[in-house]
Amino acid sequence: MNRGLARERRILNIAALVLAAMAMAPFLWLLQMSFKTNAQIFTFPPELFFAPTLENYAALWETDFRRSFVNSLVVSTAATVLPMLLGVPAAYALSRWQARAAGSISLWILASRMAPPIAFTIPYFLAYRHLGLIDTWAGLVLIYLTFNLSLVIWMMRPFFDQLPQALEEAAWIDGATTAQGFFRIVLPLAAPGLAATAILCFLFAWNDFFFALILTRTEAMTAPVAVVNFMNYEGWEWGRIAAGGTMVMLPVLVFSLLVRRYLVHGLTGGAVKG
Amino acid sequence: MTHARFDRRTLLGAAGALAATPALGQAKPFAGQTLNGAAFQSTFFEYLKAFFPEFEEATGARVNFNTQAFPVYNQRTDLELSTRGSALDVVNVTFIYSGRWIGAGWLTNLSEFVNDRNKTDPAWDAADFVSGAQSAMSDARGNVFGFAWEAGAMLMAASRYDLLEKNGRSMPTTFDELLATCDAIHGKENVTAFVADRLHHWNWIPYLMGLGGQVFKDPPGNLTPRLATPEAIRAAQWYGDLLQKFAPPGGLSFSDDQAMRAQMSGRSNIRTQAITWLVPLAKHEESTVKSTVRYALMPAGPAGNFPGSNSHGLGIPVGSRRKELAWEFIKWALSKQMLNRIVETRGYPSVCRRSVITGDAFRSALTLNGQDVASLYLQVLELGGRSGYMKYRTVPVFPQVGDTINRGIERIATRQQPADAAMRQAQQDAVQVLGRAGVQVDAD
Repeated sequence: MNRGLARERRILNIAALVLAAMAMAPFLWLLQMSFKTNAQIFTFPPELFFAPTLENYAALWETDFRRSFVNSLVVSTAATVLPMLLGVPAAYALSRWQARAAGSISLWILASRMAPPIAFTIPYFLAYRHLGLIDTWAGLVLIYLTFNLSLVIWMMRPFFDQLPQALEEAAWIDGATTAQGFFRIVLPLAAPGLAATAILCFLFAWNDFFFALILTRTEAMTAPVAVVNFMNYEGWEWGRIAAGGTMVMLPVLVFSLLVRRYLVHGLTGGAVKG
Repeated sequence: MTHARFDRRTLLGAAGALAATPALGQAKPFAGQTLNGAAFQSTFFEYLKAFFPEFEEATGARVNFNTQAFPVYNQRTDLELSTRGSALDVVNVTFIYSGRWIGAGWLTNLSEFVNDRNKTDPAWDAADFVSGAQSAMSDARGNVFGFAWEAGAMLMAASRYDLLEKNGRSMPTTFDELLATCDAIHGKENVTAFVADRLHHWNWIPYLMGLGGQVFKDPPGNLTPRLATPEAIRAAQWYGDLLQKFAPPGGLSFSDDQAMRAQMSGRSNIRTQAITWLVPLAKHEESTVKSTVRYALMPAGPAGNFPGSNSHGLGIPVGSRRKELAWEFIKWALSKQMLNRIVETRGYPSVCRRSVITGDAFRSALTLNGQDVASLYLQVLELGGRSGYMKYRTVPVFPQVGDTINRGIERIATRQQPADAAMRQAQQDAVQVLGRAGVQVDAD
């Protein structure tokens, strides 16, 4: 029986490794491409062992990609912090509000995510042109804010729902105000949910291509659009595309690894009430 | 970016270019204005940017010209033009969008500028632009909405011509010879005989027309698709076989650049494609086939020779608030003097003025591996202009129909469907997309 179990576990482990390798293959392929010259990239059959070069990264840093990378960092950070500042208290209020209207208000908040992004393109483009928001950080942050706000409210509300109200009531009896109860009692308990929600907000803004493509030109262009700019009419700069793609993935990867404990807990934490 | 050096010759050239612009007779007529331009990234604009200071010095205007990746530029400009915005004063008129942008009235009629002697000196010579390159820039009444800065003329290049010679072959001139040549050289020294990229609605059409077929019945007036005729089915089968037998593994999904790299690295031999993708075989620093590459006209089919040609031009959005300045810029950028300077100093290979193409500088720039490719280039552009067979490509709905063609050829080349079924499906899909776009087609 034990031998059978061990065999089964070995098979499952091998299957898991194969699946992990398959899932990682595109990323690993991109990564190794970024350390090759164009000539090496097109060598056939492909070389698995080669003398790596940093020329693609060096070349990347000499172009406007550097500015686009900074744009992405600034815009994504703002598009994470602002919705969290506005959305978390809103989610708490909706969670504790006993009126029937709370449900329908929540539904209306979700409306901004009920249509595909392309449906909002023309109205946003025209409005931004009149307001002078095309190709600005503010323009991008504003649009990401509208989408992320509903995400924050809908993700955080179940976390607050599952926290016993008795904890806040105890704090109030001890003399805490509503705000003190929220900041000192409720928020620390909802930390995993905050981390998971912040990561998803950051990912949405960081990975967005469509709105950045339409609503920026050169000044506020973000990294994902800058990578596409290496696809020139007369030839693609494969090495730079790979290096740019790797650079785009790097911050998300690092951020996710740093908070992975909270992320796993946070993504499942709000799923069960009580 | 490299900046041009200002020597005596440069200044004389600049003076010549600017002398052809009557408005510039006044001192700094556009002082304080900013010209906003956009185009997709191309070496032409990189070269031109180096001369912007001369234009700014002569006009007093500031030039703010942005270039983006091809798909990014097209997406942004399509949106900008469709909303009749004033953010741009000069745009690139992209070939595949030219019909849509001109037909929708989003571009300014430049004939009014050309015909006004106060705005255009006759010496600027608008008729000097090759007709094949200009055909996509005009409407049915002959009004001009752009002037071509770049033309793509489809040629044939064999990256390893030495392999053809070793096997007793010369550059094929007919479809039958092309097949026989591919058969003779395929796999020799690990080189596939043929390579193409996945844009079948560009690459396949010359073979379709060469075998007597058409994309539409009579474009741009009658857009009834003709994809399931016996000629079209035969051409699709022929081309599908060519790819299936002689293209490298994975070749069906190759991008333009991947196909070029396959040739540059000597992995694949023959390709029929626009000159832009073939010149690097002889000039690119990473090319391994510089000494073995050979060029020729597209092979002809029983019905004739129909090499693809296209062009991209400079135009003025209808919403621009600085049209006069924009026109000055276009005249300056595409003057004979400026184009000659760009050819002389940078060897740019795709200009569209006949006087430049037939000049010594261009001939010298396009003498590749000892062969005069300039004359081949001009022949193709003239072919396209004479008979107008490229009109199919400038109709606004072509991109959607082109997608159905791509899918049809892929199904044949991968043996998912026989040619007749695949092309009947393509025809049906094309009729559907045309119907959705509101295009009337014949009942048959």
